[in-house]
Amino acid sequence: MTAASEPPLLLGCESCGLVSPAVVLDDPTLVQECPRCGHVLAATKPHALQRTWAFVGAAAVLYIPANALPVMVTTQALQRDEHTLLGGIHELWLDGSWGLSIIVFVASIAVPVLKIAVLGLLAWTVRHKPHWRRLERARLYRLVETVGHWSMLDVYVVVLLAATVRFGALASASPGPGLISFAAVVVLTMLATWSFDPRLIWRDVPDGRTV
Amino acid sequence: MAEPSDPSPAPDALPEPRIVRARRWNVSLVWLVPAVAIAIAASMLVRSVFLTGPRIEIEFKSADGVEAGKTEVRYKEVVIGKVVGVALRDDRERVVVVVQLDQSAARFAVEDTTFWVVKPRIGTGGVSGLGTLFSGAYIGTDAGVSTRSRSEFVGLEAPPLVLRGEPGAIFVLRASDLGSLDVGSPVFYRRTQVGRLVGYTLDADRDELTVKVFIEAPYPKLVTTNSRFWNASGIDLTLNASGLTVNTQTLVSILAGGVAFETPTDGTRATPAPENSVFALFNDRRSALAPPDGSALPLRMSFDQSVRGLVPGATIDLLGVDIGRVRTVALDYDAKRKRFPVEVVADIFPTRLGPVRSALLRDVHGAGDAAVLQQLVANGLRAQLRTGNLLTGQLYVALDFIPGPPRTATIDDDGSVRLPTAPGTLSELQPQIAEIVQKVSKIPFDEIGRDLRTTLASASKAINQLSPEAQKALAEVQRTLQRTQATLESLDRNVADPSAPVQRNLEETLLELQRTSRALRLLSDYLQQHPEALLRGKPADAPVPQR
Repeated sequence: MTAASEPPLLLGCESCGLVSPAVVLDDPTLVQECPRCGHVLAATKPHALQRTWAFVGAAAVLYIPANALPVMVTTQALQRDEHTLLGGIHELWLDGSWGLSIIVFVASIAVPVLKIAVLGLLAWTVRHKPHWRRLERARLYRLVETVGHWSMLDVYVVVLLAATVRFGALASASPGPGLISFAAVVVLTMLATWSFDPRLIWRDVPDGRTV
Repeated sequence: MAEPSDPSPAPDALPEPRIVRARRWNVSLVWLVPAVAIAIAASMLVRSVFLTGPRIEIEFKSADGVEAGKTEVRYKEVVIGKVVGVALRDDRERVVVVVQLDQSAARFAVEDTTFWVVKPRIGTGGVSGLGTLFSGAYIGTDAGVSTRSRSEFVGLEAPPLVLRGEPGAIFVLRASDLGSLDVGSPVFYRRTQVGRLVGYTLDADRDELTVKVFIEAPYPKLVTTNSRFWNASGIDLTLNASGLTVNTQTLVSILAGGVAFETPTDGTRATPAPENSVFALFNDRRSALAPPDGSALPLRMSFDQSVRGLVPGATIDLLGVDIGRVRTVALDYDAKRKRFPVEVVADIFPTRLGPVRSALLRDVHGAGDAAVLQQLVANGLRAQLRTGNLLTGQLYVALDFIPGPPRTATIDDDGSVRLPTAPGTLSELQPQIAEIVQKVSKIPFDEIGRDLRTTLASASKAINQLSPEAQKALAEVQRTLQRTQATLESLDRNVADPSAPVQRNLEETLLELQRTSRALRLLSDYLQQHPEALLRGKPADAPVPQR
């Protein structure tokens, strides 16, 4: 795959920056190594699209239970409450804490959805619309990479609550099954982001040429 | 870019690339990640979607305290579901509460399950549901045992007092008056609480109360077919010949009322009563433990006298034996005689007659108590009002055999026996006294007084006329008396005095006579021993014996 129609002449090492001449390899079991640091050299990450698709798919699947199941179970004086993500945001909104509600919405709904959608879009365009808005796609990728970790906000909040709010029968909080799914979604989107290789966007563009 | 110590060729020469064998890494393994994700998500969704229990709807009068998404459904304080929606029924009469049951609680959605809202309640039986003050109301459940599933229920407005499966038994009491009893009132046996009152209904058809009591296990076996229940509320105070008796149950029952029961030990073997047996609820212990009255025979009596002092509840007394109670006392009008007879309706309990009753029934060949009464009336039985208490003037009805013209007892349409009456002792006495008074008033006391005065006047006149002769006569009498006294004095001197000659002579004569009689006695003694002396004379004295 990497040794496609128009092979590059040189390969830069991602680890130490040494540039080596690219070698055309016919045997798929052989890889080229950086002669200085031993890092594997490739024009793009191997199987990047396949991995991205797998992680994005897994994240998308787990996103359903993450929203459907309660992320937190609180007990206040014999009253047991289960909170889902959207339910919690709704409650916050009804309580008048619009700002907080928006923050939670962005962090726990908008960002994961955006990431899944963007990564899906990027992976799809590599194959099917390779020439479409390459610069914007590259920027989109950088945005996704930057914003990714903030989705763990919810997980942190719940884990902190569960750890601190322990007043026996009066009040307690514990993570629900939805939280595990949600954390898995966040981790999987991060893995997908990491798997995707932005160089794929520019694969068949000659050096110095803009689209 | 290239470091000076680098062994690689000159900067313009690119380093020789190294080709190595890649680590064996099958790229398709990455597809395990989405596969696992799908599996996890599917299992989670399956657990939450397919493993949730049925959704049921419960109707309540009001949704007071019930909140969608918050209110729980609990069974024995275990959460088995949650209210997910509260809505008005279409006709706006009632509230429909939608409950999502847990999967483990699917068995609860059966026909005979009951639901009610648990709120804090304060009643005579105690305080309940206090926990809901903090947690808010919840919906309580009593699990049904039916196998037919159901999804629409009608909730109870108050918690049931007996939960299914609670060990114990329910008994039914029929009462004429609820007294201070209420749901939750305790049931006592030997002053120990063994159960509670779980409900009562007013039976409009029979005009009496049906009270249900729950006796907790293992006490139901104490309730036997002979048991008597009574209302143990308050203080039972009895003052009789044996003194003052105060009978109470516990303080709680004094305040809140209660039911007590006891099995009289009259020798008959008592078997435990089956559940839902019906008993009578008596007003007090005394009437409860009295022998059963059996069915009442209504009596009607018409009295032609004032019945002041005769109250409903007064005794019907047959020769001193209490056999019944007066039910009503009402005024009647007899247009023919233009009189107001008093109609007294009473109940008598023939079973109180005891063994006599069966003998009487045999007499009338089993024709019934009314026939017995008719026969007794033919033999002279009459109803009569008598004074029971002289201080209060209370009356009772006595059935007694009173001589008089023969009369018959008729049986009214309603089965009551109309008993002929006899005027009461008091009312009989009244006309006689009146007659006497009348006769007394007819005596001409004035005339008698006048006559008496004239008689007395003439008497005093006669006495005045008689007085001079009387004085003379009196002087004569005095003289005669003086003379008599002198005579008596001389007599006394001559005879009665010890120194009088008559007295002395007499004494000497008597002494002489005494000596004579002694000599005669000596002679006769001697002759007795020596009769020969009559012929030979007295022999010489025997010589004095020599020593």
